[in-house]
Amino acid sequence: MKIIKLFSLSVILLIAPKAISQEFKLGKVSVAELEQKVHPKDTSAVAAVLYKKGVSRMEFDQNDGFYMMTEVETRIKIYKKEGYEWANQQVWYYNTTNLKERVFFTDANTYNLVNGKIEKTKLKSDGSFDEVISKYRGQKKITMPNVKEGSVIEFRYTIKCPNEGIIRDWDFQTSIPVNYSELKVAYPEYYVFKPVQKGYLFPKATTLKNPKSITINSKERNVGLVSGTSFSSDKIDYLETEVTYVAQDFPALKDESFVNNIDNYTASVQHELSLTHFPNSPIKEYSTDWNSVVRTIYEYDDFGPELNKTGYFEEDLKKVLTGLNGQDERIWAIFNYVKATIKWNGYTGYSCDSGVKKAYKEKTGNIADINLMLTAMLRSSGLTANPVLVSTRSNGIALFPNRNAFNYVIAAIETPDGYILLDATDKYSIPNVLPFRTLNWLGRLIRKDGSSQEIDLMPKKTSNDFVFMNYDINAEGKVTGKARRQCTDYNAMIARENFEKLKEEEYLEKLENNNGKIEVSEYSRTNEKELLSPTLETYSFTGNDLCEIIGGKIYVSPMLFFSQDKNPFKQESREYPVDFGYPFMDKYNITIKIPEGFAVETLPTAVAYSMENNLGSFKFNIAANGDVLQLMIVNQINEAIINTEQYEMLKEYYKGMVAKETEKIVLKRI
Amino acid sequence: MKKLFCAFFFFLFLVNSSAQKSDYSILSIPDSLKQNANAVLRLDQMDILIASQRSMNIKTQRIVSVLNDKGLNDIDAFSHYDKTTSIKNIEAIVYDAFGNEIKKIKRKDFKDQSAVSGSTLFSDNRVLYLDYTPISYPFTIVYTCEVETSNTAFIPQWYFLGGYYLSVEKCVLNVTFPKDLGFKKKEFRFNGFNIKKTEETDTKLSYLATNLVAQKQEDLSPNPSDLFPKVMMGLENFHLEGVDGKATTWEAFGKWYGEKILTGTTILPEETKVKIKALVGNEKDPVKKAKIIYDYVQKKSRYVNIAVGIGGWKPMLASDVDRLGYGDCKALSNYTKALLEVVDVPSYNTILYGDRYKSDIQSDFVSMQGNHMILAVPNENNYIWLECTSQDDPFGYQGVFTDDRDVLVVKPEGGEIVRTKIYDDKGNTQDGKGTYTIDETGNFSGVLKIASRGSQYASKSRVETMQPNEKEEHYKDYWDNINNLKLGKITFTNDKENVRFTEDIQVSASNYGTLSGNKMIFVVDAFNQYTGNIKRMRNRKNPFQIQRGYLDTDEIEISLPAGYSIEFLPSNYELKGKFGEYKTEIIKKENNKLTYKRSMFLNKGKYSNKEYDEYRLFMEQVSRNDNAKIILTKN
Repeated sequence: MKIIKLFSLSVILLIAPKAISQEFKLGKVSVAELEQKVHPKDTSAVAAVLYKKGVSRMEFDQNDGFYMMTEVETRIKIYKKEGYEWANQQVWYYNTTNLKERVFFTDANTYNLVNGKIEKTKLKSDGSFDEVISKYRGQKKITMPNVKEGSVIEFRYTIKCPNEGIIRDWDFQTSIPVNYSELKVAYPEYYVFKPVQKGYLFPKATTLKNPKSITINSKERNVGLVSGTSFSSDKIDYLETEVTYVAQDFPALKDESFVNNIDNYTASVQHELSLTHFPNSPIKEYSTDWNSVVRTIYEYDDFGPELNKTGYFEEDLKKVLTGLNGQDERIWAIFNYVKATIKWNGYTGYSCDSGVKKAYKEKTGNIADINLMLTAMLRSSGLTANPVLVSTRSNGIALFPNRNAFNYVIAAIETPDGYILLDATDKYSIPNVLPFRTLNWLGRLIRKDGSSQEIDLMPKKTSNDFVFMNYDINAEGKVTGKARRQCTDYNAMIARENFEKLKEEEYLEKLENNNGKIEVSEYSRTNEKELLSPTLETYSFTGNDLCEIIGGKIYVSPMLFFSQDKNPFKQESREYPVDFGYPFMDKYNITIKIPEGFAVETLPTAVAYSMENNLGSFKFNIAANGDVLQLMIVNQINEAIINTEQYEMLKEYYKGMVAKETEKIVLKRI
Repeated sequence: MKKLFCAFFFFLFLVNSSAQKSDYSILSIPDSLKQNANAVLRLDQMDILIASQRSMNIKTQRIVSVLNDKGLNDIDAFSHYDKTTSIKNIEAIVYDAFGNEIKKIKRKDFKDQSAVSGSTLFSDNRVLYLDYTPISYPFTIVYTCEVETSNTAFIPQWYFLGGYYLSVEKCVLNVTFPKDLGFKKKEFRFNGFNIKKTEETDTKLSYLATNLVAQKQEDLSPNPSDLFPKVMMGLENFHLEGVDGKATTWEAFGKWYGEKILTGTTILPEETKVKIKALVGNEKDPVKKAKIIYDYVQKKSRYVNIAVGIGGWKPMLASDVDRLGYGDCKALSNYTKALLEVVDVPSYNTILYGDRYKSDIQSDFVSMQGNHMILAVPNENNYIWLECTSQDDPFGYQGVFTDDRDVLVVKPEGGEIVRTKIYDDKGNTQDGKGTYTIDETGNFSGVLKIASRGSQYASKSRVETMQPNEKEEHYKDYWDNINNLKLGKITFTNDKENVRFTEDIQVSASNYGTLSGNKMIFVVDAFNQYTGNIKRMRNRKNPFQIQRGYLDTDEIEISLPAGYSIEFLPSNYELKGKFGEYKTEIIKKENNKLTYKRSMFLNKGKYSNKEYDEYRLFMEQVSRNDNAKIILTKN
């Protein structure tokens, strides 16, 4: 026994020092790194960032003043062929008349182990490219030479940005494991940057103050009795703030279904200039808290001032509002007027693109053009309306105040009963039913005086999907019946989008083919265009394949094609919250008439259960009354977002629901 | 994924002629053209002027009435350009439903973007495109564009009907060319469409088509390029990125391609030659030599596409591929060829259309065609085909990207049209063997071994390289008939020598058997259910295709729970028809055990629209029987 223990101890001792020695310096690739076959903590990793070190330092040049210099060096290990894409790298840069950044790749090499020796292949000019992406951006690309399974690649890039207030965002996590990631940010005491961190994992941060100085040489030509040039040199001392973030062994990010936006969960840090304070000058604030962020945005030429323009629409608006007195009537009229008049050009942003006047004239504009115009119109009609800054789902969630946190704007009306939120850029949006893209936690409302307030964007109202169905079963198992489906709020919005996507004929074809090949007749739709009313669909159907006859008995799922027969939550565990977008209730009222000469042999039993904290509840009621069966089934989810701790419960909830909804009624011959 | 002639292959060049005063009002569109249409092409005109072997001017005029937002894609207002192709002018004017002008879009308002696709790292090809936000429907756009190019190797293929749900009021093609360049053309499927050839002389060709009604898209149809009328055009004497070319016969074209494009690209450093010779050693058999080289290339290289100038057609030098370890399909094929040359194994560059959808090089029309390159290694009277862009494919395996189609093999003595490997339907097998057990509460647990061959190997073997979460997702989708599925141990055996991929999988699931009262019900066929849905269609118009057939066989031993007896067993079932054969069988055994046998064979083929419903019914029978249930009663 003892011997075995000793033995295993010595094995550990032997292995432990073998943990790969690494030097985080370009060119110092070790044999051990090249020999490694799989990532020690994630054997499925196709590649890994062995280390990535970046420095963004504000430097001084006598001609250009302060500028931002970013230098990044990276070492990546490629384990598998599927990781080859990591051998292609790219860095974008600003390329506008006002802001020209310069990007260089240097020291790019591929390392391979050939017969126990390290072989180094240098990246030459034939593997690097410069691409124009748009009027505003370019991109440098490299593709590393001689890459095989097991290769280690290294490269450095530098970005010189003439605007000293811009520090590039830094991700500590990506789709492959990151063993070591370090970012240093350094700037003079005259500047204050606000770090914005997000994700589920956080790097360690340390701050240093370094004494620094800059020397400004000047020459002056003296004209007088003795003409000549005198030289002077000023040395200015200052303290440099240096913040270092270190992340070690951050695992690979994996995307999941029902996730809002994976970027929200990526460990990363952004920096935003919040103020400058130069000697003998007043403090200049850029952003410090949400209030000042919002005030800064408000003062932008393409934001606040755009809200104050009214002349361009006043005449037209008068006509729109003629004879309308009620508040709701007026809101609805203005909202529809903007929707009908100006079309969204697909671009987001909280700043106007064309400007409200031009957008109004051309009948098209970006998000801000349209919704700021809407706000201005609402205000001019006497309502207390204000813009609300929003970050869309694809833009992610900002946890700390900064200007880039937003990329969208909507309108809000203050009423004694609370806020009414409006977005006139979506065809099917109605008051307080915003397009799905904007449902992203919190927005920020800005008042005329520049003060601001948090607005909860997540819908609280339940969106309904109610189905009324009655059908007859005949002795051959053929089903004939009628269905009526009514959807409200978000479910209505989705229904309308689906109506629009397909011509009615194709819609019906799909309805038939996706629902057990039923044949649909007498189909009708109500309120397709009346957005404030629920959508309503009614149709008759017959189906030859909805019942099974087994051994002379009829087996049927009472909900027919409406039953949820698959659990949408298949994953064993969940990394990120489940985001339904809005609370909802699905409810089915079903009446079944069984064929003559048959009687019920078995019925599913009634059940009712709910999740903790009132997250949701499921009810299944069934009653037999002669040859008629009555069912009522309700699935109600009360929260838009279900967090990971509740995932298991949610999965079980759906499991129970699927089991119940797929249970069969058995009918036997009398 | 792997595009060869990526720059010019897909798009129609669209250009303008003299602006005409017209009625752009929507009211003047006949009802017959609005039927099933999202957009109506009021005029689709192209004037191609070939001035010389090295100069072609293309004017496009396209007047599109867009009826709804699904018709936006039919505007097609874009034009590619690069160093040899310049856009002389480009403009669009928007009219409202009544024909009043509402907006003019000038060149500077077109968006300018790099035309690289996902698999291309860098290309000098760029595109100008119109990004217009409609303010109401319907509206009409008049798009005009003029392009000039020195490349005459590709005269745009002319499609009279550019897609589904689009009708055409008037379509005009005018081509002018010098007598001596050997202009040629081929017409396809004009029958049943109102297309007239209005002029054909030794310097001019014109067509006029009117009132082509919109077509509906139908599942399993051939590609529109094999369904709608078109004209292919080409020159016997053409020009490509600084090189003059000849295409009179495939022999001549192949010769030209070999001499002008490929020559000098297969030179390798001495060091590499020595290394390769050492690697091959004493091996004498050319096929075995090729295998060694192919394996070497797979381990050494990766796919990276860089297309600049002639680089879109001419392979990168083999010595560069040798040094850099990457290249596109041309570069990697050519590099493999160079290595094979070193060990005296002949091989030939092969041009084709690489796509899941089988598409031929038009064998009776000699011209630049194709979008992909592979390598042909002669083997007795046949060829072994090597896909050099893949690091995983078994030697000589063609999967579903290059199989069964006409390709151009470029030999030193000239080009030759050859059919690539046809995978026999009965060779595309999936063979499942396993067991499963149902316990008294309906819980399920089982083990299964699935072996896949032929074209089924291609779809299965990719599972091996999936990430764990993707693997989980894959199997939970594959067996989405089993709720609450839990995966146990999964192991793979990828036998590349025999092209056979084997999965060994353990699975379990709670509540597979549904309990109601004293009965338990479950579906016998747990592991291989046909889950497709062949749509029911009223009035199918187009023929349909099954591109690849297959043969699935399963033999599963089922252990029933103790304490239950069988109330009902599905009966054995057999279905035979022109589409295939299907058979299931359940054999009762001792100790509460059953053996379930299933075989499903599907024929590939081209079938008429009339046969579609028969096919649907066939597959529905299969689906229904796959869903047959066992009923047990508690003792």
